[in-house]
Amino acid sequence: MAGEPRRPLVAFEAEDLGHDDQVVLPRLTLALYPDERIALLGPSGAGKSTLLGALRLRLGDAAAWCPQQHGLVPQLAVYHNVYMGRLAEHSALANLWNLVRPLAGPWRQVAELCESLGLAGLLRRPVGQLSGGQRQRVAIARALYQQRELFLGDEPVASVDPHQALRLLGLIEARHTTTVIALHQRELALSHFDRVWGLRDGQLVIDAPAQQLTLADLDGLYPDADTLAASPQEETAPQMPDPEALPCARGRP
Amino acid sequence: MSADLTERPGHGRYWWRGNSTGLKLARHTLALLALAVVMVPFADLEILTRDPWGELARMAQGLAWPAWGSLESPLQALGLTVAVALWGTLGGMLLGFPLALLFSRSRLVRAGCAFVRAIHELFWALLFLQVFGLSAATALMALAIPYAGIFAKVYAEILEQLPSAPRDALPRGVGRLSRFIYAELPLAWARLSAYTRYRFECGLRASVLLGFVGLPTLGFQLETAFREGRYHEAGALLWLFYLLIASLPWWGHRRLLPLLALGGALLLGPWPAVEGGLLWRFISQDIWPPALLEGDWRGLIDWLARIPNLGPAIGNTLLLGLLGSVGALLVALALWPLASRHFGNPATRLAGRGLLIFLRSTPELMLAFFFLLLLGPSLLPAWLALALHNGALIAFLVARHADAITTGMPGVNASGRLAYELLPRLYPGILALLYYRAEVILRETAILGMLGVATLGYYIDENFEYLLFDVAFFLLLVTAALNIAVDALSRRLRPKETAVIDDPCQR
Repeated sequence: MAGEPRRPLVAFEAEDLGHDDQVVLPRLTLALYPDERIALLGPSGAGKSTLLGALRLRLGDAAAWCPQQHGLVPQLAVYHNVYMGRLAEHSALANLWNLVRPLAGPWRQVAELCESLGLAGLLRRPVGQLSGGQRQRVAIARALYQQRELFLGDEPVASVDPHQALRLLGLIEARHTTTVIALHQRELALSHFDRVWGLRDGQLVIDAPAQQLTLADLDGLYPDADTLAASPQEETAPQMPDPEALPCARGRP
Repeated sequence: MSADLTERPGHGRYWWRGNSTGLKLARHTLALLALAVVMVPFADLEILTRDPWGELARMAQGLAWPAWGSLESPLQALGLTVAVALWGTLGGMLLGFPLALLFSRSRLVRAGCAFVRAIHELFWALLFLQVFGLSAATALMALAIPYAGIFAKVYAEILEQLPSAPRDALPRGVGRLSRFIYAELPLAWARLSAYTRYRFECGLRASVLLGFVGLPTLGFQLETAFREGRYHEAGALLWLFYLLIASLPWWGHRRLLPLLALGGALLLGPWPAVEGGLLWRFISQDIWPPALLEGDWRGLIDWLARIPNLGPAIGNTLLLGLLGSVGALLVALALWPLASRHFGNPATRLAGRGLLIFLRSTPELMLAFFFLLLLGPSLLPAWLALALHNGALIAFLVARHADAITTGMPGVNASGRLAYELLPRLYPGILALLYYRAEVILRETAILGMLGVATLGYYIDENFEYLLFDVAFFLLLVTAALNIAVDALSRRLRPKETAVIDDPCQR
């Protein structure tokens, strides 16, 4: 796949990524190609959000964005929170009026979208009154409503049950050609994505097609799994597809 | 005094050494107390009336048997009081809100707001009285202008503390206004309206006080009745005021406010016939020293030399501020357990809460006036009034905070609960609140001068009376500078590493 002469959407070459003065991902080399579905794995604090933030900055208006803390306004209704995805496309006056009385066009579109996400009938309810899973779906609805080519999601399916997670990922994929989604469910990463990026301690330790990886490979990302999975790791190590993509040996101290 | 690092934690001797928060706060408090004790001999605390107890008994009788029948049109005074408070607060809000949006960006706006805040509502009233006379314009501007400064600061603080996640989640290219109405205003709304509501309550107290400079609000009749010794009538008016405050949740309901505002607008009056020329002369000439306007520097020095010696007045103002703050601390420490669910029985708690509500809703000038009649014109009545009013206000907040605490050890006796469970958790907050209030207390000391206590306010009042506007305005500037300096000082001294009690009443 790496040999195809496609132009990457974004490419980092030995770049330091971080926020303020703190470098979280030093000397990162990475490329995102069109039409790829990428699962971003790694323990908490490994730099997933930083990487997604940097991608969002590079991709600009091309990417829909579904942040980890959802960024919802609890006092506003579901409809208004979803509408905020396209706030920039309307004039301030229209936005103001929309708070008083929803605009007909957007209302129809949002209602349709919410129905497919299982939020039908909740459009007028303040987000603060919803359950965690419902809020998560509102955040996804907002990102879908942006109608962009790409989808960047920071753990968008973290607090829903496995079946729902599958359905939501399906919805996201159906509407975007390229997706980068951070998640914790390793099985889902292998079964549902083309490629896996694995971060550990600020290093990209996995960048490989999902078919060539096993669950044990992914375990290597999580320090707490090291002790448990010491032997399977050694077995799978020779199968690693591309040593170039693994700047750091897994299982290092 | 270099501390030996290997020294064992002392027992007995040197117990005050150490770096824990508790010890730091204890040293801080003891230093404050010691300073107050050292300064007390410099304060004039004489009792000047011959028969304070007899006077007190007559006042108590007046409060116990209010003479409802002898009130002259109390409803009109009441209506005007509410109307002035409502429209004054609204005016402050309309002026303050745009300023809040500029607050963090413009040093000029911050300085301007600090200046208008530093001058008490009554002094603004005295100033506008010279131009607009005894009219609604004077009353409204006296409230709206300082409140604009306060709203600007508090609103700006609230907006600054909003979570940034909703803003960060917005797509690029969203306009400033759209971002504000979708991702900021809804999040801030509850706190903004709670603070505005609290300010309206302060506005009610201030509106009553405007009667003391002659505006026909409730305070006017109250002051006359008190001064003339008609205590039964004064008692009735006081009860009327307490009822007004206590019933605020009902008549001040959100849905009723537009109706109140409309009705209030009809009650406001009389409106002055403003002469532009006169107003301009006042602003451009009357309040400035003539020598300054002519550019005559020698004359300006002569003018300054003719101003009475301000040393004692400034000294008294600061002294009263210090004593008032320390007194408020002691009152708060003594009173908060009375209203807390951790102590006493339902009856004592009800009485304690009643006492706190009574003390904190009585305007401090009113309390001072009451003690002044009782004890004569020294610093003592002013000190008592400041300590009781502000102490009760702090105690009320502390008790509310304490009620939210679940103690870890059940079955400890009351003193143990106070000393081991509650006070260690609450004291940092109490001290922080006190330092917040210190600036308010100083602002109030100045205003007590209007009752004859020899603070800066006394000279301001006097010079307005003699129509020496240039001197009065200069003294106002001195007062404002003093307040700003003390505010900065208390901000530095305030204990930092503390859990602050959530305070809707920072000022």
